[in-house]
Amino acid sequence: MKQFKIGNSWIRGVVGNGLTAELVTDFACAYGTYVGGREVVLVRDTRASSPMFGAAALAGLLSTGCSVADAGVCPTPVAQYLVRRRRAGGGIAVTGSHNAAGWNALKFIDEDGALLNSIRGEEVLDLYHLGEYTKASWDRLGKREEATGFVGSYLAATAGTLNVESIRAAKLRVAVDTVNGTAGAVIREFLGFLGCEPILINEEMGPDFAHDPAPSARNMRQLESLLRHIEADVGFAVNTDVDRVGIVTEKGVALSEECTFPLVADHVFARGSAVAVTNLSTSMMIDRVAERRGGRIIRTKIGEGYVIFRAVNEDAVLAGEGSGGVALMPVSRAFDGFLTMALVLEAMAEGGHRISELAGRLPAFLMKKGEIPCSPDRVYHVLEEFRGFHRGGQVDLSDGVRAAWPGHWIHVRASNTEPILRVIVEGEDPERVERVFADTLFRVNTVVHGKS
Amino acid sequence: MSRLTSLKISVSGVRGIVGQSLTPQLVTAFAAAFGSYAGRGPVLVGSDTRPSRHMVAQAVTAGLLSTGAEVVDLGICPVPSIQYMVARTKAFGGIAITASHNPIEWNALKFIGPEGLFLNQFRAEEVLDIYHQGEFRRVSDAEVRGVRRESGACAVHRDGILKYVDRDAIARRKFRVAVDCVNGAGAVATPALLEALGCEFTAIHTSVDEPFPHSPEPVAENLQDLVRVARQIGVDIAFAQDADADRLAIVSATRGAIGEEYTVALAVKQVLKRAKAPVVVNLSTTQLVEDIASAAGVEVYRAKVGEINVTEKLLAVNGAVGGEGNGGVIIPAIHPCRDSFAGMAVILQLLAEEGKSLEEIIDGLPRYAIVKRKTACPSERVFRVLRRIEEAFGAGAVVDRSDGVRLAWKRKWLQVRGSNTEPIVRVFVEAPDEEEARQLADKALEEVKRLAE
Repeated sequence: MKQFKIGNSWIRGVVGNGLTAELVTDFACAYGTYVGGREVVLVRDTRASSPMFGAAALAGLLSTGCSVADAGVCPTPVAQYLVRRRRAGGGIAVTGSHNAAGWNALKFIDEDGALLNSIRGEEVLDLYHLGEYTKASWDRLGKREEATGFVGSYLAATAGTLNVESIRAAKLRVAVDTVNGTAGAVIREFLGFLGCEPILINEEMGPDFAHDPAPSARNMRQLESLLRHIEADVGFAVNTDVDRVGIVTEKGVALSEECTFPLVADHVFARGSAVAVTNLSTSMMIDRVAERRGGRIIRTKIGEGYVIFRAVNEDAVLAGEGSGGVALMPVSRAFDGFLTMALVLEAMAEGGHRISELAGRLPAFLMKKGEIPCSPDRVYHVLEEFRGFHRGGQVDLSDGVRAAWPGHWIHVRASNTEPILRVIVEGEDPERVERVFADTLFRVNTVVHGKS
Repeated sequence: MSRLTSLKISVSGVRGIVGQSLTPQLVTAFAAAFGSYAGRGPVLVGSDTRPSRHMVAQAVTAGLLSTGAEVVDLGICPVPSIQYMVARTKAFGGIAITASHNPIEWNALKFIGPEGLFLNQFRAEEVLDIYHQGEFRRVSDAEVRGVRRESGACAVHRDGILKYVDRDAIARRKFRVAVDCVNGAGAVATPALLEALGCEFTAIHTSVDEPFPHSPEPVAENLQDLVRVARQIGVDIAFAQDADADRLAIVSATRGAIGEEYTVALAVKQVLKRAKAPVVVNLSTTQLVEDIASAAGVEVYRAKVGEINVTEKLLAVNGAVGGEGNGGVIIPAIHPCRDSFAGMAVILQLLAEEGKSLEEIIDGLPRYAIVKRKTACPSERVFRVLRRIEEAFGAGAVVDRSDGVRLAWKRKWLQVRGSNTEPIVRVFVEAPDEEEARQLADKALEEVKRLAE
């Protein structure tokens, strides 16, 4: 089966079997038409197919009369910064991000540096469906310009807004696994800027990723082993376009990627505003952190576009997801792995804390995640059947079915990438979580197989 | 009414107007069709200097890469240099991004096979079938190959030409030469060739980032700048190229543009001095070629208009030289493609060996006048037009119907043919006397127009 999915701020698919050069050209034309001939920033990650999709996007954008600032291999949050700095009309990042090898995607960036929100994303989709793109005549075609030399100003405008002096003074030894992705273009300058001593693995940029690029605990084995054998203050894992961060303690223990957002929030909330936006699948650790700091958590559908858009409207100080993406809203409307790492380093430096101490402050919950194969034509039917199963819980139907009770919650939703249903259960009491998880899997399976 | 569309998809490639029909979608799909046809090896991509080359080249790159081909980016590169390089590097094929002599709003893709020749009709049909079926080879992320830049194509091509001609004999004469590169692809290669041939040269219109200073077809009305420069300097000879540098026209310091038919004639004259082998030209080329060939004792074959038709005939009869009367010289010993650089080199060698001026050499040849006319004509009327022309004018003529209709009498011929690329009919007449040629051409044109409307 072909694998291709359209979101509000992205399209993604399996290269050659779903995501094709022609589709990317069409979406670039739709986006160029939407932007109306203004400049568009274009970046790509290090996957083998990214130059191909980059060329297709470039051709489409130029044909609509948009000039393109081509920043080459570059992290997505840096592109999001460049869009604002250049006062461009928008941006396109060609990146499979956290997705497994074989996949690739386009992320569409709005003029404010955020990924396209759902309203604007739908306008681009309407233009795509309409298929009537702006066709610039030969003398009005866009021009391509190579964008270079922006890393310094990016760092000054993002990490530079933090307490850089105290981070520098702490002289931290920082290990980073950049998984052969775009972080390689920035990471040394980034750590140098913060006065940290760099210990880098999988730094060489290229298509052969050392491991699955999602920065979850199971993909941080290399980093764990490194930190057990050398002296370092913290280890970070980022994905290929650096919108997600995972953390390994100085003792060589990988934290769940769910910890990144609450750990940063605990630090940021201490300064004042404690309003943050997250998605329905994210750990309730963030709720407990907000309670402790007297704050408020707002939940939305899954996806950076939704979370950031809501955070803009709620004047939230933070936005984040359990997958390791965090945005410091007053600085940038982007899940920015560099800024996230800088915030963690700032939290360590300002309080003189070890990363294991900061992690130890987070409440301990058990989160169980499962997948149930379900053909795409059955997925929504199953969700519909399932929505009534949660008596007594507080039900949210904005993305699949989420039900919350005082001590635990369940979330069942359709995957954005695969023909599966994702099931998540989290709670305080491990036994209860195991029981509810098993029960939920059984009930979803029963609906999937039609024996209700 | 005739229908003039801004898109032409044919065995000659795909050609369209940027901003109307030549969209990145179309170009990507065609490149993917060609990549599916060519296989997973290197495909060389070069372009002329049209401003739309950037957009089109990106779309070509995306389409080729999506099929698992490796893209070798030659940048701005003359078509004959792309062809030469494809053959020399054993690439799987090439794509030339050029609308040749067409106005600047046009662009086109021309497909080159692994031998460095344009695809013939049968191969081009295969690519068209793949395009129309839309079943392109798709490769996974891991199988996508990269883009490699290659800047040496013009130098490799130049070396091939310098090996063929007597460089020293040419260089000893220190010819004074002017050249008009029309800000086209020739600008990146022509100065170096003239330098290597020891010429004192003045090159005009060599800014590849500027639009064409005049229509890029190297015909007399477009060559006024070159004529002026040639006069001022008092050059031995001046050359004009088209945008992709496959065609060549000659300008004399004293007589101005001498007509592009002389380009092939002079090249034939030089090549036949050493090679006693047949000549192949298209049906519209001057009969001067027959006079020169018969003096050298070799046969002349005529092929359908279109570079690949002449090339295939040249290869079939083991010909020494040939080409097309619009300034396209083909010398198979260098490579069997229209090549303005090969043309310049052998014509300079002709001047060197004859020890005469360009004007003296021309005066030593029989004189003919060629008159060319064209008029809009819907494609479905072309057959009727041709039959009527044959009825009305064919008395006493040798008739050749392989490309439109060509009626040949002793020292005079009339050809009427439909264009392969536009809904127009072209009329050609050649006769020793210009007035006679014009009268016949106008009569034929009138007949065509009557039937076309």
